[in-house]
Amino acid sequence: MSLLAPGTTAHHAPGSVDEMAELYRRLDADGTTTVVIGGGNHLGVGNPVLADVSVATEALDAIIDYQPDDLTLTVEAGVTMGAIDELLDPHRQTAALPETEPTATIGGVVAAGISGYRRSRFGPTRDRVLEVTVVTGDGRVVTGGARVVKNVSGYDLPRLATGSFGALGVIVSVCLKLWPEPESRATVRLDDPADADSLYRPLAVLETEEGAWAYLQGPASEVASSASIGIVQSDGFTWPTFDAPGTAEMRVPPALVPDAVQRLNVPFIAQHGVGIVAMATEDPDVLEPARSWCESVGGSLVVTSRSGPVDAAPSIDPWGTPPPAQSLQRRLIAAFDPRRIVNRGRLPGGI
Amino acid sequence: MSLVSDLIAVLGRDRVLDDRLDSWTYGKDAGVFRGEADVVVLPESTEEVAEIVRVAERHSTSIVPRGAGTGLAGGAVPVDRNVIVSMIRMNEITDVDPENRTAWVGPGVVNLDLSRHTEVHGLHFAPDPSSQSACTIGGNVGNNSGGPHCLAEGTTVNHVLAVEVVLAGGEVVTVGGGAPDPIGLDLRGILVGSEGTLGIVTKVLVKLTPNAPDVRTLLCAFDSVEDAARAVSGIIAAGVVPAALELMDQRMTEAVENWLKAGLPTDAAAILLAEVSGGTAAVKAEAAVIREVATSSGASSVSLAADEAERQILWKARKSAFGAVAQTAPDYYLHDTTVPRTRLVEAMTEAYAIGDKYDLVMMNVFHAGDGNLHPLMTFDASQPGSFERVRAAADEIVEMCVSKGGVLSGEHGIGKEKRDLMGLMFDAPALDAQARIKEAFDPGGLFNPHKILPQGSRCFDFGRTVPVPDGAWI
Repeated sequence: MSLLAPGTTAHHAPGSVDEMAELYRRLDADGTTTVVIGGGNHLGVGNPVLADVSVATEALDAIIDYQPDDLTLTVEAGVTMGAIDELLDPHRQTAALPETEPTATIGGVVAAGISGYRRSRFGPTRDRVLEVTVVTGDGRVVTGGARVVKNVSGYDLPRLATGSFGALGVIVSVCLKLWPEPESRATVRLDDPADADSLYRPLAVLETEEGAWAYLQGPASEVASSASIGIVQSDGFTWPTFDAPGTAEMRVPPALVPDAVQRLNVPFIAQHGVGIVAMATEDPDVLEPARSWCESVGGSLVVTSRSGPVDAAPSIDPWGTPPPAQSLQRRLIAAFDPRRIVNRGRLPGGI
Repeated sequence: MSLVSDLIAVLGRDRVLDDRLDSWTYGKDAGVFRGEADVVVLPESTEEVAEIVRVAERHSTSIVPRGAGTGLAGGAVPVDRNVIVSMIRMNEITDVDPENRTAWVGPGVVNLDLSRHTEVHGLHFAPDPSSQSACTIGGNVGNNSGGPHCLAEGTTVNHVLAVEVVLAGGEVVTVGGGAPDPIGLDLRGILVGSEGTLGIVTKVLVKLTPNAPDVRTLLCAFDSVEDAARAVSGIIAAGVVPAALELMDQRMTEAVENWLKAGLPTDAAAILLAEVSGGTAAVKAEAAVIREVATSSGASSVSLAADEAERQILWKARKSAFGAVAQTAPDYYLHDTTVPRTRLVEAMTEAYAIGDKYDLVMMNVFHAGDGNLHPLMTFDASQPGSFERVRAAADEIVEMCVSKGGVLSGEHGIGKEKRDLMGLMFDAPALDAQARIKEAFDPGGLFNPHKILPQGSRCFDFGRTVPVPDGAWI
């Protein structure tokens, strides 16, 4: 399946990094604007991109290097979450990437800076991208980081690229840090999310309008002893999902999650200890006041998917108040995409 | 007005040091390089730092920020006659927030002091470099410092949520924040580990980690380094990522034991220090796995620290290893590279061979779980040619590690030391991109010049029309 972003007139799906670089040298010379597509899962995040052509990473789908004993995996950007799980499962390893988006590509997940539910134990996705290669807006092939788990050689390009939404160019490959899967797991139903406070660093504590759950993993004896805080529902993980066309998330200091939940009367998934509360709504009357509160406590409210065409004007600013140092962000982007042809305008502040 | 008198106007006479002795004292870090500063200043507030930046710009003088000077790569060593900005007086810990497990701290706060300060809340700052009783949080941020416990917890960048930074022009911005996934480009992530080349960090929002309810530390002795390294891989392959996994070779063990009398087995070719932390059931199970893997990998003995006092002495042995080397020779050169964990044994074997080739005594104590090697060569700098010999051996070791898929530095940074080796790891477009990042932050080249990036990095261009002279580095 080829995705053509709404509003674009042509579609490119280069099959190699060199082809991608050549394509961008040409597009840059012509000043042709582009929107980049991975699995199409996160096109609704950020400001709408009005571009001439779509560029897909779907044909960049090679597993470049999997080193189970080093706990590293290097893949091209178009490889999906599902394919990564399929590769790692037999080795009992995980990249701890988003759990509920099997069709999302690794390039898309990294570009959008999306993390899974297991981040309080493994850190956000950003902490696990060891190496990144981008094709810049003007067609240079730039690699930063390296395929080792500990590295301070040069500026941290992998972190800058994570969550950059194409601002540095197209992410064409990444190396990920992996973790071994535990001996045992459990999903435990809680009466109250605060019941998990007695645990030492649970994997995740989630709450929805239907209740609260702690997710535990580790040696069997540890999981069994920790599980006594509630009722074991499963010896695996069952993650909640939304089935809603429009979603947004509140991002607040972690201790404020109970306050955030209190304010809601729409379906939600709250990550206790992390500070993210996802909401199944795109109603500005709900989102605007919630955003004011989030921003007043040092956080943000971000639209994560929209109903209707992604190039249509959104009913609410997707990002809210832009972060400081906008001119520095512009200069950084210009270092990678001087004519600003990749996903122009998508970031906060319309840059 | 002169530079010095302008600085005195901002800070007062007693916080501007400009005599020869000061310039000399601040001309060095804990590594082997020396420079000489023009003037040293001791700001106490963000506003003063911003004013210092503006004064330096006015006088076209560059700036070298400095923490405790425990770095080893020459990152804090002046190359030109710079203004050294010592951040040690900005050492306040404010707004400890036990609910959110964060604290705002000044860059001059000593790493260990922070963990001591937050202990009352059952929290600590996870990065624990061996120099943690002296090194500062600002220095940790500058170098993205690690330490033994980074294996499970990650390096400094994983524990810094936001930084306040003074940029070129004296502009003050705070990037990042206490809420997850701040919007926009991750400027915090690029500032951490930038070795003071992009701006001066004046305040840090750190993430604090809960102290584990239980901890176990095992000491495993091996008859060969290969067996010890095999145990490291085996432990990870068994699904356990310990809190720390440290390896020490026999020469290093002997040096430490001779001084500390910690009870280390000096007859072992290598010892492995493994620590697990967490819930009691978890540490019990994981310690059992480590014991089993170590034994099946050929460990001649595996012992568990019986109590906190025994555990502390083991860690003292590990963290003071570099000091213990002073018995062997007056100077040492400590290296820092990372290789993929599976290539540890061959990298160590070849490093010993390089040491032999240059007739140098080499010892090793390092973060085996991360593949982060620290070959240490002892020498006497007063002997003519000895330093050059050590440098040559060191460069050869780096080259060898990079050829195995490794990197120039795992946790000490590039600084002045490895700047000219960057081309081993990065091609021309990659170096050029790094130089463009530097330019975007610091177009005037004000902050810590001649560090990280080799001369001529910024020269990659498509459709280049200007011919490159023969022999030019591109």
